[in-house]
Amino acid sequence: MISYIARRLAFAVILVFTVSSASLVLARLAPGDYVTTSLGIDARRETVERARARYRLDRSIGEQYRDWIVGAARLDFGRSLVYDRPVTDLIPERAANTAVLALTALAAATLIGLPLGIITGSRRGGVAAWAIRAASLVLLSMPPLLTSLFLVFAAARTGWLPVGGMSAAGAASEGATFDLLRHLVVPAAALALPLAAMFERLQAQAMSEVVGQPFVLATLARGVPRARVVWRDALKAALRPVAAVYGLVVGTLLSGSFAVEVITAWPGLGRLMLDALRARDVYLVAGCAAAGSMFLAAGTLMSDAALALVDPRTSE
Amino acid sequence: MTRHTRNVRTFTTAALAFVMAASGGCRSKPRPGGEAGATMSHGGDLVVSVRTEPRTFNRLAARDTSTDLVSILTQAKLVRINRVTQEVEPWLAESWTRSDAGLRYTIKLRPNVTFSDGHPFTADDVVFSFEAVYDEKTGSALADSLQMGGRKLRVTAADPSTVVVAFPAPFAPGLRILDNLPIVPRHKLEAALKAGTFASAWGLSTPPADIVGLGPFVLSEYAPGQRLVFTRNTHYWRTDASGTPLPYLDRVTADIIPDESAEILSLESGRIDMTFSSVAPESYALVKRAADAGRVKLMDLGVAYDADSFWFNLKPGAFAADARAPWLQRDELRLAISMAVDRQLFADTVFLGAGVPVYGPETPSNKKWYAADAPRAPHDPARARVLLGSVGLSDRNGDGAIEDAGNRPARFTLLTQKGRPSLERGAAVIRDELKKVGLVVDVVSLEAGALIQRILSATYDSVYFDPGTTDTDPAINPDFWFSSGSAHLWNMMQKAPATEWEKRIDELMARQIASPDEAERKRLFDEVQRIFAEHLPVIYFVAPRVYVAASARVTNLMPAVSRPQLLWAADTIAVKQ
Amino acid sequence: MTRLFGWTLLAAAVVAASGAPLLAPHASDDQFRGLLNAAPTFPHLVDDSGHWHRPFIYPWTLVSQLEQRYEQDRSTRVGLVWFTRGRLVGSADDSRAPLMLLGADSYGRDVFSRLLFGARISLALSIVAALGSMLAGVLIGGLAGYIGGGVDDLLMRASDFVLVLPAMYVALALRSVLPLVLASGTVFGLLAAIFAVVGAPFISRGVRAIVRAEKQLDYAVAVASLGAGHARLLARHLLPAARGFIVVEITMLVPAFIVAEATLSYVGLGFPDPVASWGTMLHDASNVRAFADFPWLLSPAAAMFLVVLGLNLVMEQSGVAPVMGAPVAEGAGRLQSE
Repeated sequence: MISYIARRLAFAVILVFTVSSASLVLARLAPGDYVTTSLGIDARRETVERARARYRLDRSIGEQYRDWIVGAARLDFGRSLVYDRPVTDLIPERAANTAVLALTALAAATLIGLPLGIITGSRRGGVAAWAIRAASLVLLSMPPLLTSLFLVFAAARTGWLPVGGMSAAGAASEGATFDLLRHLVVPAAALALPLAAMFERLQAQAMSEVVGQPFVLATLARGVPRARVVWRDALKAALRPVAAVYGLVVGTLLSGSFAVEVITAWPGLGRLMLDALRARDVYLVAGCAAAGSMFLAAGTLMSDAALALVDPRTSE
Repeated sequence: MTRHTRNVRTFTTAALAFVMAASGGCRSKPRPGGEAGATMSHGGDLVVSVRTEPRTFNRLAARDTSTDLVSILTQAKLVRINRVTQEVEPWLAESWTRSDAGLRYTIKLRPNVTFSDGHPFTADDVVFSFEAVYDEKTGSALADSLQMGGRKLRVTAADPSTVVVAFPAPFAPGLRILDNLPIVPRHKLEAALKAGTFASAWGLSTPPADIVGLGPFVLSEYAPGQRLVFTRNTHYWRTDASGTPLPYLDRVTADIIPDESAEILSLESGRIDMTFSSVAPESYALVKRAADAGRVKLMDLGVAYDADSFWFNLKPGAFAADARAPWLQRDELRLAISMAVDRQLFADTVFLGAGVPVYGPETPSNKKWYAADAPRAPHDPARARVLLGSVGLSDRNGDGAIEDAGNRPARFTLLTQKGRPSLERGAAVIRDELKKVGLVVDVVSLEAGALIQRILSATYDSVYFDPGTTDTDPAINPDFWFSSGSAHLWNMMQKAPATEWEKRIDELMARQIASPDEAERKRLFDEVQRIFAEHLPVIYFVAPRVYVAASARVTNLMPAVSRPQLLWAADTIAVKQ
Repeated sequence: MTRLFGWTLLAAAVVAASGAPLLAPHASDDQFRGLLNAAPTFPHLVDDSGHWHRPFIYPWTLVSQLEQRYEQDRSTRVGLVWFTRGRLVGSADDSRAPLMLLGADSYGRDVFSRLLFGARISLALSIVAALGSMLAGVLIGGLAGYIGGGVDDLLMRASDFVLVLPAMYVALALRSVLPLVLASGTVFGLLAAIFAVVGAPFISRGVRAIVRAEKQLDYAVAVASLGAGHARLLARHLLPAARGFIVVEITMLVPAFIVAEATLSYVGLGFPDPVASWGTMLHDASNVRAFADFPWLLSPAAAMFLVVLGLNLVMEQSGVAPVMGAPVAEGAGRLQSE
């Protein structure tokens, strides 16, 4: 077991390393660099050259990569070109905001999606089951951009909730928690709704399979009440699919969503990454990619562990 | 002799204006809507939106709009270009005199001015600001705009309240260019400049209290990704006509809202009072409805100072190995294109009717410099076809598209920027209109970085883009006009002018920039515009109307066509309590 | 019953896509400059005075260009004509009142016609890409799960790598080495290949887990002891257990790919502008005015829902259930939102 975890950790390190290296190299290969995007087309050549020299973008890819690796070995991932701050300062600050959003959305999606999936999966037909399933498919086929936009639109037009951002300007500190919760509703819903739909579909399908299995029928035949069978015996067997993906979902949620964070003006990691991509902020891109791969590695590890708990066959 | 008298006269008028302005504070400012005459209520908050995070709090180190907002609110300049009148107003400079044939300006600084931390403002701060902006290590983007043909201004302090600015060559706009440079505190930044780290001083992690300036507000809070909060600078030097200290507002909050739809919804729902940028035509209807409901006021500021630009790669030899070389860089092609595009249809499609046809780089809004009599190519597809025929392009096989002498289709690519509605829509209109005269255009939308890279390396056929102008006075955009300039879009940074007409424009502009006589300058620039219209190195189609909106409680606005339309005069904006 | 409904939906999509040139009243790039974002022209049978007519529509007249407001001209009836100009139905007077069953987009193009033409690219691309993902995913996942050990680790970490690589830079780098003008066929192949690569990890991950679990079950052990070859055991006994999972994955990948096509067009890897696709139509509709004033611009989302519903109904009735299909929606989110 310990050697298994050690191996997984080693792979996680390799993943983070290769992903951030590849991002750095690709960022250099993409046409244009930070200086062209920040100075525009009308800057004088000397100004551009000076700026390149200042940001040390005049080095070859190989040289730049080597310097970066040497720094990364000492956990110095370079300074963001755009914000002129160490990448290791910028990322945790935004990752914390994304984490608040991601965990809220995950909790909401689990609390909504799983029970609905159990209900729709354990009974055949019925208007409620159909309605839930249709709603899930609508949410799964809506582009995330539109879902977010629609929620922001609804929030603005009803006036019930803030249009975006993470806090109201000058909110008093005693009301800060409540203020944060109010601001969380729209972005969390934008993330949670499609996720809940996914959980619902997965759980429903697994449930309907399990409910038809001999052991469930046998339990029912022994006279155990149906509700108890569904919620106790069948549920445990049908949790496998959701358990299998849960960690992966955590991993991707923690990396932040471009669409949701941009539309709802949530100051998270996804938005930071998007800005960095657009500005060709090579080190910040590499840093964001590294953070993303870290979350993913942790997520898949979690996922495998959860799967082993539900279904001992898949463990080592 | 004539020249000399003119000189004197200009000087007297100018001096008179300055004396009046200086004695009256803001008495000389325009009073739109008669609001300025009323007593303004003091206090209150204003919430504005910006799209992006500022890159730094140091305007000398970055030129993005959000950094500019920080600078507008927290810093001041020696002179201010009044965005409404486009005239130069004394600002930190109280008055000045010209000498040495206009090469030398002796500037008297406003007395008793202090920075927001109470430190007195002196001539040393001015000299320091110039040192900082010209410093090689700073690599400031502003430095380009403060040089004459690569030569710097010499700025010296005669005494603590007097600065002498010496121009390297005669420069007609004179102190107008000083509007570009915010004056920064020497006592706060000198160490950084000496250490060679000025460009990274005042980065985003600087404590707000360290950002010290001469502007109406001070930065009091920065929440990354969320907002910037500015509070009143109690040391601000300016008062209104009745002697009330400015600014009127207690606080300005800039919320960072990256998405345009969310920005408009925020305006409509009252979460923000105004947007930093103008209202796009697509959003007009929504804002109009909010205006009809009395929640916001929507202002039509007239036609913009610039139009999106369409140009061909005119670098000699760029198409040497290309079968299209005989026609792709010809004047006739561009004239034909200008005639083939129906500008009214362009305005209707791209700007939803809110635009006026333009034919040259200056729009009618630029009243002082617009040459109304420069030749223009009226919409005439038949003549366009004739012109195309004159460079060997005609429909040889009867398929409606035109071909060259070798029967190869007349086809070129047009690069534009992805994600900018006015550019993408404009490109589509150009493509469709040119199809009608038989030219095949392949529109390729690229992401900004990739597009700029192609423009700089001159690897393109044609580009439709918005390079943006910096000032209404042509002398302040030399990089566009001179063949050696870096913004001479169609063929940048030439060692010697590639064509006769570019050489002629170079000569005319050199005189235009140096001439002290405004009427002479106008004549010269009219001539430049005429030559430009004959050869059309850049084709312009439509200049949009500019709309801005602010919530109904905001008063005393001085809206101007140029950016930032409302916040340029932030110190006199007030809100109803 | 539900299965029949599912098949009907899918058949309708196929008919719409293949019959677009006949069914669509306009070409996908026909523009009506005076009708930017105009509302749908519903066919009527009864006029205001209560008289019955053959199907007709009322023309829109422009009230405000800037606000894009139109009024129905109730005094004029424009009839519909059938089987003319090679089309099923159209307006008798296109210059005055073009038939726009789902309104016009911001260029004044008929949304209904674009929806039909767009179905071709969007459905074909997403299905080809989904099949590509499946092939690659099954191969990688099957091998990883069956062989295990170092091969498993290598293949799975490679999958992780693909998952977290910033796709935008890959696309940008690709864009810079390709010629500026790409033919539609090239774009199609390129996008299908990119999507297949990006989608494969989701499938391989699940397939691997299933193969791994099944391998240890009694029957697999028994088959192996009977001397079945590795390939045979994998192909005949282990992979079929993943069939349900794969099918569900495909139904989730299809909408994700439809939307992702618009995302890649942001970095210049898109179809030339006049070509209609559901992804770009939805991307163009992603602004507040679509919700507030022009809801018909969202019709591709409705069409996508119907296709997904159809796929879902058909699959479910085939008796296959997903085992662990979820990573796809996640990946979809990443692809779509960039």
